[in-house]
Amino acid sequence: MTIRSVRQKVTASPAPNEAEAVAIQVPVGEPSASAAGGAALGDVAITVRDLSAWYGARRVIRDVSMDIRSNAITAIIGPSGSGKSTLLRCLDRMHEVVPGARSSGKVAYQGVDIYDPEIEPAAVRRTIGMVFQQPNPFPTMSIYDNVAAPARFNGLVKGKAAQDELVERCLRQAALWDEVRDKLGHGGTSLSGGQQQRLCIARTLALQPKVLLMDEPCSALDPVATLQIEQLMSNLKSEYTIVIVTHNMQQASRVSDITAFFNMGPDRAGYLVELDDTRTLFTNPKNQLTEDYVSGRFG
Amino acid sequence: MASDGAAVFAPTGGARRFRANLLVVLAVVALLLALIPLIAVFGYVFVNGIRSLLSLDFLTQDPPADLSATGGGVRNALVGTLEMTGLASVIAVPIGLGVAIFAIEVGGGLARAARFLIDVLSGLPSIVVGIFVYATVVVTQGHFSGFAGSLALAIVMLPVVTVSAEEILRLTPRPIAEGARALGLARWRAILSVFVPIGLSGIVTGVLLGVSRAIGETAPLIFTSLGNNFFTLDLNQPMQALPLLIYRNALNSAYASARDRAFGAALLLILIVFGFNLVGRWLTARRRLAGSRR
Amino acid sequence: MTESARAPEQRGALDLAGLRRRRWTGDLAFRAILSALTVAITVVLGLMMIESFISASPVYQKFGIIGFVTGSEWAPSFTIYGAWPFIYGTLVTSFLGLLIAVPISVLIALLLTDLAPARLRGPLGIAVDLLAAVPSVVYGLWGLLVLVPAMRPLEQGIAGTLGRVVPFFGPPTPGSSYFAAGVILAIMIVPIVSAVTREVFASTPRIQREAVLALGGTRWDVARTVTLPIGRAGLLAAVVLGLGRAIGETIAVTLVIGNSDNIGKSIFSPGFTLASVIANEFNEATETLHPEALIALGTVLLVVSVIVNAVAIGIRNRFTGGSRSGF
Repeated sequence: MTIRSVRQKVTASPAPNEAEAVAIQVPVGEPSASAAGGAALGDVAITVRDLSAWYGARRVIRDVSMDIRSNAITAIIGPSGSGKSTLLRCLDRMHEVVPGARSSGKVAYQGVDIYDPEIEPAAVRRTIGMVFQQPNPFPTMSIYDNVAAPARFNGLVKGKAAQDELVERCLRQAALWDEVRDKLGHGGTSLSGGQQQRLCIARTLALQPKVLLMDEPCSALDPVATLQIEQLMSNLKSEYTIVIVTHNMQQASRVSDITAFFNMGPDRAGYLVELDDTRTLFTNPKNQLTEDYVSGRFG
Repeated sequence: MASDGAAVFAPTGGARRFRANLLVVLAVVALLLALIPLIAVFGYVFVNGIRSLLSLDFLTQDPPADLSATGGGVRNALVGTLEMTGLASVIAVPIGLGVAIFAIEVGGGLARAARFLIDVLSGLPSIVVGIFVYATVVVTQGHFSGFAGSLALAIVMLPVVTVSAEEILRLTPRPIAEGARALGLARWRAILSVFVPIGLSGIVTGVLLGVSRAIGETAPLIFTSLGNNFFTLDLNQPMQALPLLIYRNALNSAYASARDRAFGAALLLILIVFGFNLVGRWLTARRRLAGSRR
Repeated sequence: MTESARAPEQRGALDLAGLRRRRWTGDLAFRAILSALTVAITVVLGLMMIESFISASPVYQKFGIIGFVTGSEWAPSFTIYGAWPFIYGTLVTSFLGLLIAVPISVLIALLLTDLAPARLRGPLGIAVDLLAAVPSVVYGLWGLLVLVPAMRPLEQGIAGTLGRVVPFFGPPTPGSSYFAAGVILAIMIVPIVSAVTREVFASTPRIQREAVLALGGTRWDVARTVTLPIGRAGLLAAVVLGLGRAIGETIAVTLVIGNSDNIGKSIFSPGFTLASVIANEFNEATETLHPEALIALGTVLLVVSVIVNAVAIGIRNRFTGGSRSGF
């Protein structure tokens, strides 16, 4: 655990316009050709430019540039050690929470550099929510409070009625309401693993974020719970920008609109190999490595 | 002592089995040697103190001015002990918790300095703590007082509370800590509303152990609260405490009445101290069990 | 594009994206409160220590630091103050206490980590820990009324035989003595030394212990080849911590040591330790410089226990830090 501040060295790009000028346009297939039933993809929500990250002296991702579209599910796949989770953690400034961790490069949400010194990391994390691999509900809080307390602490909801309404809405959105409506006062850890994970999603939704980052949210869950979370993601897509890290390629191809394939380079740092709409990436990859990976030849 | 490979691999011969058994016997003897005093002290104090303790007067009356006279009780000392230890907790717990959180949350030179002082304090004889408070508070005020006694007891408690709180808070599971950060909670909010509740039973254990240590202290009170043969609730007056009363009566133990009073008070004190101690341990044990079940 | 030209636009964008809400006020206030608290406690404790030295300074000025520490006479009515009789008493009683307590503690620690059935370890451990919870004054009361009379025949026996040859074990033996204080100290430091030793022993790698057992070793082999060699540095730290406790123990010692300002030639003579002389004489210290001299004894005690504890912490850190050079 660390709750200690870690000094963060980020080299912000000199000016947004210049950054745009040098931005590498990552090819994305025609929005209309989207895999997920032809739904139109939104605008670019998050821009990543030349992002590198280190743990101590070890570089874990190198020079990643990519665009993440709003109202779509972007899946990040790749073998272990390819920096998928680190990339995700850089998107809401959770990477710097680990002692000795730092990053460089630019991450912008709606054109705003989230590493700007003017920006409060906590505000970034409220806007760009994260769901972790292991469900982590607060053990001393009830189911109700797990959802209500973070929103209340952040001043997003006032009054009992508004709070009740928020809790119900978020639990419904997370498809958990019917299972827990009669035991809202029970401890959050009394639920099953899949329910706990949906509780954590509800807890994040209560902050009314714009983006949901999900770090292998199903890896600790059984197949039924996994299916429920996947359905949940599809339902949430219309309102949220979702980025999911997964090492389950079936899952990526099932749920995502766009897929990014990461690999570990010779220097043991992860880098972006290819990004495309999911169907194209899985059926007609441009890069030999991607083809080898998605066809199960390595990883 | 180099590791003796041959001895390890050889089949257990008579001599080696004998040595192994001898070690067990010696260890059991050692344990008995250590436990005999515990049983003897407790048994002796119980047998000699229970009669005093069973009379209601013992708790509701003050001792006679002349310690050699019979009768009277230890009300002034019991109340003084509870009042001074209570105030000591009120002083030591927030400070100890605050310094522990500061050490984790902020760190840096100031935290190291404070932690160093508290480490020094935890190894310091309690009588030296009494001298600290005498040299500052008592000398400045010009008289002994229950307040000075409370302060000395608070300083005795402080390291116990701080060290245990810091250890417990450092154990906050990393996923929970990251969850709080990822929800954009302010740090003070995360600590007070998430981490402290998780570690609460451990923190309470630390407080109870601190109280059980402070409540039995005599030496720091000699120079601070001094003792008082009369009942008082006024923290500005010299104040009696159970350990002080036992000490003064032990010095006069040639008199049967003083001896009886000392043993009655000693039994009362032991029961209070063991009570706090065992409740604290029980909380810790319960937390461990809960942790292993999870 | 200049900074000033871009700033307002940037601000607007920040607010638009909802990223710039309440800034750090809550955390700043929280930090400020914690910092103030920590500064306050650090300053207060530091001041108390300094103030104690200042209170003692007249004595140091009159006799000199060396003169005070090595002075072997303590005569308040003649305004002569030398700390040596009490330093001597502290050394003798602490050493005696450790001599008795350490072997017992090590065996108990071994018993509770390697030897006893797992079921019994918990309750036995609590029983030993409770020994540490018994207030000092209760040990003193018991020591004065039970232990001292009970040991008098033993003391007289040793003094009458061995004591004829070695004056260190000779008479007088009124009962209250350095020896009685050493025994009471031993009882009181066993829990401390055995608790720390137990912790150290328990931290020896379980794989190694199980390896010895799996290879057909006896429990003695486990103790001898794994627990003791690996635990040695930690054991040393435990012993030094016990020493620190013994040096500072006050009330129990005061009640059984016999209270004499002179250096006793035999361990069966009455004497004083640093802590016990302060406790015993403080409330009746009316002679010139007497309170100051007692506070000066307190500063000696402070310095000695800080050194002893620093050594213990140093050993332990070296031990837990993984570097075992020198041991």
